[in-house]
Amino acid sequence: MLTIEDVKKQLKDKYQSDIRNFEHPYGTRLFVDVDRSRIRDISNDIIRMGGRYLVSVGYDNIARDKTLGLVHTFSLDAEDMFICLRTSAPVDNPEFDSITPDIPNAGWSEREYIDLLGMKFTGHPKPKRLILADDWPEGLYPLRKEVPWNMMPPAAENVAYQLDDAPEGCTTIPIGPFHPTLHEPEHFAVYVDGETIKGCDYRGFMVHRGLEKLCQTQLTYNEVPFIAERICGICGSVHATSYSQALELAAGITISRRAEYIRTIMLEIERIHSHLLWLGVAGHLIGFDTVFMQAWRVRERIMWFGEKLTGNRKTYGMIVAGGVRRDISPELADELLAVLKTIEKELVTIHKAIAGDGSIHRRTKGVGCITTEETKLWSLVGPVARARGVDIDTRRDHPYAAYDDMTFDVPVVDSCDVWGTVVVRILETFEAIKIIRQAVEKMPAGPIMTEFSEEIEPLRHSISAVEAPRGEVVHYLITGEENRPERWRVRAPTYPNLQGVPAMLLNNQFADFPIIVGSIDPCFSCTDRVMKVDVRSGTAVRVSGSDLEKISRAKKFAGR
Amino acid sequence: MDILYIAVNILVFLLLAPLFEGVVRRITARVVQSRQGPPLLQPYYDILKLLGKQNLSAGNFAFRIAPLVSLASILGVIVFLPLGHRANVLTKYADIVTVIYLLTMGGVGVLLGALSSRNTFALIGSSREMITMIMVEPVLAMTFILGAVKIKSLGITASIFSVAGGGYGASVIVMMVAYLAALQAFVGRQPFDIAEAEVEILEGPFIEYSGPNFALFKYYLLLKQMFYAMLFVIVFIPAVKTGLYGVDVLIQLAFVLLVYVLIALLGSTHPRLRIDQAQKIYGVLIAASLVAVGLSVYGI
Repeated sequence: MLTIEDVKKQLKDKYQSDIRNFEHPYGTRLFVDVDRSRIRDISNDIIRMGGRYLVSVGYDNIARDKTLGLVHTFSLDAEDMFICLRTSAPVDNPEFDSITPDIPNAGWSEREYIDLLGMKFTGHPKPKRLILADDWPEGLYPLRKEVPWNMMPPAAENVAYQLDDAPEGCTTIPIGPFHPTLHEPEHFAVYVDGETIKGCDYRGFMVHRGLEKLCQTQLTYNEVPFIAERICGICGSVHATSYSQALELAAGITISRRAEYIRTIMLEIERIHSHLLWLGVAGHLIGFDTVFMQAWRVRERIMWFGEKLTGNRKTYGMIVAGGVRRDISPELADELLAVLKTIEKELVTIHKAIAGDGSIHRRTKGVGCITTEETKLWSLVGPVARARGVDIDTRRDHPYAAYDDMTFDVPVVDSCDVWGTVVVRILETFEAIKIIRQAVEKMPAGPIMTEFSEEIEPLRHSISAVEAPRGEVVHYLITGEENRPERWRVRAPTYPNLQGVPAMLLNNQFADFPIIVGSIDPCFSCTDRVMKVDVRSGTAVRVSGSDLEKISRAKKFAGR
Repeated sequence: MDILYIAVNILVFLLLAPLFEGVVRRITARVVQSRQGPPLLQPYYDILKLLGKQNLSAGNFAFRIAPLVSLASILGVIVFLPLGHRANVLTKYADIVTVIYLLTMGGVGVLLGALSSRNTFALIGSSREMITMIMVEPVLAMTFILGAVKIKSLGITASIFSVAGGGYGASVIVMMVAYLAALQAFVGRQPFDIAEAEVEILEGPFIEYSGPNFALFKYYLLLKQMFYAMLFVIVFIPAVKTGLYGVDVLIQLAFVLLVYVLIALLGSTHPRLRIDQAQKIYGVLIAASLVAVGLSVYGI
């Protein structure tokens, strides 16, 4: 077992003066200021200590000291520890050593900051445009503070993303931007030889909504959870919770135990409905619509309950900074238990049917295989990792909300294929039911909101992770001066998992493409957060926000 | 009067094929998937709606002619079918080779349309369709040949009626099972709807088709489905007959309905297979049908 002091000592002994400063204000979080020349070595050392790469955070610090800041974050799962390596570079020479050659999952984060902040990463294997639209002008970095949040550069014609060259003898099959497998606009170019997949290139980030920039410039701390919840249409509560926890950590407040219990219940309700949703979609993707219909019929019960409890089937709006918005009355708790009982009973039937169905096994076993080592190398998370023998679960490894009071199993299988993800998700749904039962039973009395009126000290860093149905969500927060975040970085689970998909696809049949991509339960919009993009062609009339408002109001009243 | 029997053949198929499809959708929804499902007449509405739309074409002659080729071929086959255990005036002009040719022509029409559209997904779909055709057609051929071997004639009525005409021997049973197993592949349903696989290749061969052209293809598929169901009834259930033409047709239609129920249940309880997995199954089916013919040579 490493302690924070051990980590500090090891780093200090090895790197001496290249380690500028240590900071660990909240127990399990260690922030290390390091010299940018050693960032790659130190990152590799953290991995060697058992660290798992989470995400990188880039931020604009030009106004203060003419630098661009970069944070690489890691989790030591066995030790319940987050390590954040902070460094910076002058804005006129924003060059960093790329850590992607050793830690492939950092590839997207680094490309993101090439696009958004104008950083440069030496040694990056694929420094192509990732986030910005193809017609976004060169040299304009939208996450820098000089760029206003609502800026719309003129659209350009005849620009297109250059896909990677297809391997020799392969044809390119375009999947997307619109394709029934994807449900969201993204583009995969799949290179096939006959029907065997030999590679793929991905061009995504087509549905940016500019949420991070919006929240850093327009909203206040208390409004952000509602935007955070809208990052994902399926698992919104995890984002609201993760943001709120990061903020509460930075502000140094402890919320009431009852609120933590209610958060736990909401997160698990969300997991049940999300896993059932996935099960249905997975059935559809292998052409088994009966699984689809039955899983969604069972899921409907929890949707109704969600509506009764919060007013919404989804996007509950329950979790806010400082607690939750609504209490769960004893009557509702009883109803919840009854709903869970029905769902559990029906899920047992579905589980048996799926486990005994040879044709489902044929379509999922041995499909989308990657080894446990590869999974760790790519820092994959959630059921995708647990289906490949990687025993991680944020709820157990970094307990938050009321999970420290719950007893539950973390299902891990080592079949390393799509079938494993099916098994893990079904078992997790049973665990979720178990957790809610315990939470309802043990829930202490108390207030559901903790007000915090004191000003939050600016420029404090904090990080929080939550286990979403799809994997681990990470929120990194730097507090700001105007009652809003200075920098807020969201990493949804699809962000790392999608980067592992090309490895899973390799040498599989094209017919298995939908279920392999589907097996990570992709949520593309969640990965697409940062930019506001105008996609209208050059001659189109621009519609301003107030115009839109007028149009929608006119429509609303037209029917009366 | 002779022409009347032919008209009955065509009308029964044209009018009832969409209805049976509606039954399949209803059974799938109500019995298996806990849904309400669309109205029974939905397939008619679908076709009518498609017919009323603008006809878009990929711009070449082959693309426009392809749906007509398919529809015409399947109607051509239907004309020869001895419905109600009665050969019509045209039946004697054709033999089982004609029937197999015309059925293949229908598939060729689909391939023609797919290839002429030059769409990547259509190309994948057509290569899958081709594999399916090559590998399940033998099962159909063997069914006819089984009868032909028994009676030593290639005539349609002779071979069809003689398959099970002499009772259900081992060869007939084996062939019947092989035919039923291949049925889902004949009619392009799960687990063998590989050529169209919506979530992978977006309806494959038909991706570029819309409006009236697509309506013709859809009608072709519906008729083909009913043809294979009807063929099963005529070939393997010949014993139930009254001698009255109208009553016999109705009895046969009742059996066709049962076959459709089977299609619906099989289709809704299986996921789609991959083409490489399906090929192995097709291989087994071909072997089984060959065994059946072999048995029949020895009179078993």
